[in-house]
Amino acid sequence: MEPLIKVRDLYKIFNIGSNKVYALNGVSFDIYKGEFIAIVGTSGSGKSTCLNMLAGLEAPSKGVIQIANKRIDRMNEAQLVKFRRQNVGFIFQSYNLIPSMNAIENVAMPLMFRGVSYEKRMKAAKHYMELIGIGDQGKHMPNQMSGGQQQRVGIARALVIDPQIIFADEPTGNLDSHTTDDVLDLMKKIVSEEQRTMVMVTHDPHIASWADRQLRVVDGHIVETVINDSSPIEIKIKEENGEPPFCVVTPIT
Amino acid sequence: MRLYDLFKLALSNLTRRKTRTFLTILGVVIGTASIVVMVSLGLGMSQMMLKSYQDEGSLTMIRVYESYERSDSNDKNKSQTELTDENMERFKTLDHVVEVSPALDVSVTAKAKGGEGDFTIRGVSQYYLSQLSLRDGGEIPKKDQNELSLIYGNQLLYNSFYKPKSYENIEIDPLKDTVFLTFPASSYSDKKNTVDTDDQTAKKQKKYIIPVSGILKGGRDDWNQNSYNAFADIDTLKRFLRKIYKKALVPNPRTTKNGKAYTYYVYDTIYVFVDDMNNVKDVQKQISDMGFSVNSNMEWLESAQEQLGMVQMVLGGIGGVSLLVAAIGIMNTMMMSIYERTKEIGVMKVLGCDMSDIRNMFLFESGIIGLMGGIAGLLVSYLISFIINFLTSDNGGESVSMFIGYTDGGGALSYIPLWLAAFAIIFAIAVGSIAGYVPAVRAMKLSPLAAIRNE
Repeated sequence: MEPLIKVRDLYKIFNIGSNKVYALNGVSFDIYKGEFIAIVGTSGSGKSTCLNMLAGLEAPSKGVIQIANKRIDRMNEAQLVKFRRQNVGFIFQSYNLIPSMNAIENVAMPLMFRGVSYEKRMKAAKHYMELIGIGDQGKHMPNQMSGGQQQRVGIARALVIDPQIIFADEPTGNLDSHTTDDVLDLMKKIVSEEQRTMVMVTHDPHIASWADRQLRVVDGHIVETVINDSSPIEIKIKEENGEPPFCVVTPIT
Repeated sequence: MRLYDLFKLALSNLTRRKTRTFLTILGVVIGTASIVVMVSLGLGMSQMMLKSYQDEGSLTMIRVYESYERSDSNDKNKSQTELTDENMERFKTLDHVVEVSPALDVSVTAKAKGGEGDFTIRGVSQYYLSQLSLRDGGEIPKKDQNELSLIYGNQLLYNSFYKPKSYENIEIDPLKDTVFLTFPASSYSDKKNTVDTDDQTAKKQKKYIIPVSGILKGGRDDWNQNSYNAFADIDTLKRFLRKIYKKALVPNPRTTKNGKAYTYYVYDTIYVFVDDMNNVKDVQKQISDMGFSVNSNMEWLESAQEQLGMVQMVLGGIGGVSLLVAAIGIMNTMMMSIYERTKEIGVMKVLGCDMSDIRNMFLFESGIIGLMGGIAGLLVSYLISFIINFLTSDNGGESVSMFIGYTDGGGALSYIPLWLAAFAIIFAIAVGSIAGYVPAVRAMKLSPLAAIRNE
């Protein structure tokens, strides 16, 4: 089985004054199709930087990122935008719905960027909203919806382009614990039922435990990887490859 | 992204901040209106001027005079630059010349209704006469008719006659009132011995009543270059004068070296008619090169238009400044809009919106501001133009038209042709797009990371 995402020796170095700050200090790992990955760490650990680089929002200082056999670390901004439009769904912490559009228009927006006709994209948006259980809220404006509902719209928007990978940046950060469980349940269901790949960033170990595999990041290093042994996809990977997914772990000394 | 979607997105973004959009558009409205009104004033003035020159006389006519610069040269040359029939024929052979007409002027003193007046009878060709427009019932004197008949200029009737002592103006009507004309005494005598003065006075006193064949169109205040003269057919006039002045032909004939009066006519002016306004200058130069002194209304018009061009540029510049201010307003609005929507733009970029689409969306927004401002500004300009024309028309304020200096009725001071209207709208859109370009590019280059940041 071939990994969908390959990361090798990834560095991100910020120059703050004359000091060099290593936000990411050489991480290497693989992610397979169908996995639900959680990158866990405290704030400042480098977990968000890692996600941003995987999504092509930030350029790495050094290292290789290969997604679906494409070197995204070598792409320019226009190519990255196109790559995201074709392959990547994104779920934000603060939902980031466009306030002037209603729910269904928000969901359909990524298809509009692809130049899909109005009828087609509305149909697709309707389909995914029903899948997520908010099919009756298409006409609502974002400010009329609760946080949980808005995040569901956000998830539907990430799904509408039929992406290979979904990135989620603290998707439950602004939700109460009850809604958090609902949303995570939904995300997990989508990953397993729709065979998506999801990479989620969180600071909460409890939330991270929903994932198939956790990568714990401290000071720019992966210090621990936790595999959920009961997860079907992890069992399958182990069966096919004979070993757990590749990941360089640098334990804290 | 589809063009329609871009347009819709831009429009919905504009309607989100209605007051701000309205104010920005208002700036463009004022800018466009001031440019259009200013240019329309310039155009209206230029049209009025053209019209007033046309009123004064045809723009295709050249007046030829004898050149005074050469009058001191020897006789041989002199005869060549005299306005004789021979020279007139030479003019006629020039390219683009349609017709020529001599003008033979005779000053007369007239008495009517107890008043006195002086004016000039100008003998001209049939062609010239046919160019005159007469009041209803008048007719143009025939060529070489038996009896001399006159066309009176319209202003002769009102302004030329006055009471001898009080100098009060008298209005006459040649059709009803009898006008007695006195022709000047001849300054020439072919007899060597001096003529008895009594005889001359007696001659001077002889009064003629000359039939009226018509009156020029126009009222008391309608001035043109013909309105203070009386006109007659040249051949008839010549014959009439020969009866009075015999061999001298005219009251003040030129004489040869040995004191004899010329046996041919020397005209005061020769009018040359050219086929087109644009050929006037060319023909004028040719005649001037022959040694004659020439002028034409075209020449004046050109220099006047040159001056007016300056005025137009100043007016347009004033309008341009206000449109420039409006452009800065658009830029400001777009910049603010981008700062407000930084996060939104970031989200769109994360979700795969092309950079060029983002730029185009903002260009559309500023373009729409320009378009709306342009259309509204044009409507406002038409309104202002209407008001200006209303105020400066005859029933409006005199002071306004006095200030402008062209008081001819009929012409519109502010004139908005179709091309100006089209130009105004296109220009407004262009200004909007250009003003929006820098903000749009800035929006395009915004980092998608802004979307990730959580406030």
